[in-house]
Amino acid sequence: MPMTIMLDVAADSKPRFTRAAFWRGVLEALPFILSNGMAGMVMGVAYRSIGLGFIPSALFSVVVYSGTAQAVTLGMWAPVPPVIPMILACIATNARYLLIGAHLHQLFGKLRKRIMLPVLFLLADASWLMTTADAKRNGPDAGYLLGASVPMAIGWMGGTALGYGMPVSMDGPLAVAAALLPAVFVATLLPIQWHGRQSILPWGLSATVAVLVSWLVAPSWAMLVGGAIGTAASMARGDDV
Amino acid sequence: MSDWRILAAIAALGFVSYALRAGGFLAAGLMREDGVVARFFRLAPGNLFVAFVAAACFESSWPGVIGCIAAVVVMWLTHKEWAAFTAGFSAAALAAAILVR
Repeated sequence: MPMTIMLDVAADSKPRFTRAAFWRGVLEALPFILSNGMAGMVMGVAYRSIGLGFIPSALFSVVVYSGTAQAVTLGMWAPVPPVIPMILACIATNARYLLIGAHLHQLFGKLRKRIMLPVLFLLADASWLMTTADAKRNGPDAGYLLGASVPMAIGWMGGTALGYGMPVSMDGPLAVAAALLPAVFVATLLPIQWHGRQSILPWGLSATVAVLVSWLVAPSWAMLVGGAIGTAASMARGDDV
Repeated sequence: MSDWRILAAIAALGFVSYALRAGGFLAAGLMREDGVVARFFRLAPGNLFVAFVAAACFESSWPGVIGCIAAVVVMWLTHKEWAAFTAGFSAAALAAAILVR
């Protein structure tokens, strides 16, 4: 998603952590129980289809708690998972959290770290966006960030467990489709990342290089090498989003 | 792969995910909004996602291509992830039933 780091709250707004803001965040983010729940169910079905146990599947969504990183690493899963490429892929897909975290520091940097660091465990793109909007209206309140994050986490983690337990037999065409769930999951993110004509060249390069690497080298490195080449082309051209 | 290795891999990925969430907050002073690193982080996700989808489509052939196209089109039209997942999964399953023996 396009990210612009802006500080739009009054400079003298003192950050807080209040119960009222927590519940306001919970209420406003309630629809995410359904939407994240659906996505989490997809992930649960996909984990079961590769033969992962229930506890590792649930732990994936609790501990990693990142749809993109989980989808990408799931797509790289093999009888002997390539751990180093998976970690690099996790870093590459989640590096945006460095920017989000830097922005949140502008809002909540004066709060104690023992309050903020646990809250950041549940940080999600949507809860960051909602918190940014709420800070403009009501001033920065980390209670809102936690409150908005909770329904999203419940939806994602609960959805994964429910999806894993769904009584669906995955064989034949359904098994083929289940194996494609990570790719379908990531494909749904593409329209958000599209920035018009400036995306054409780097995306074409990324896709071409990824296919060549997958064909000639190893599928587990395709995303990292292809994405790096496309990003380098964007950087060299002076693009920004 | 044994269970402890799977759990170790999940723990490593979880550590990386949390380190990125907390790292931006803790190292905020080191990152400039208009800096090269910040620009790289803004540009990278789209290229990485395209590369991932392209490689997956290449590996899985037509069911993957059709499923991913269906997901992108439905997401574009509806902005609803659940609808895009459903369309992508259904299209891939249908394509597999027709094209894969």
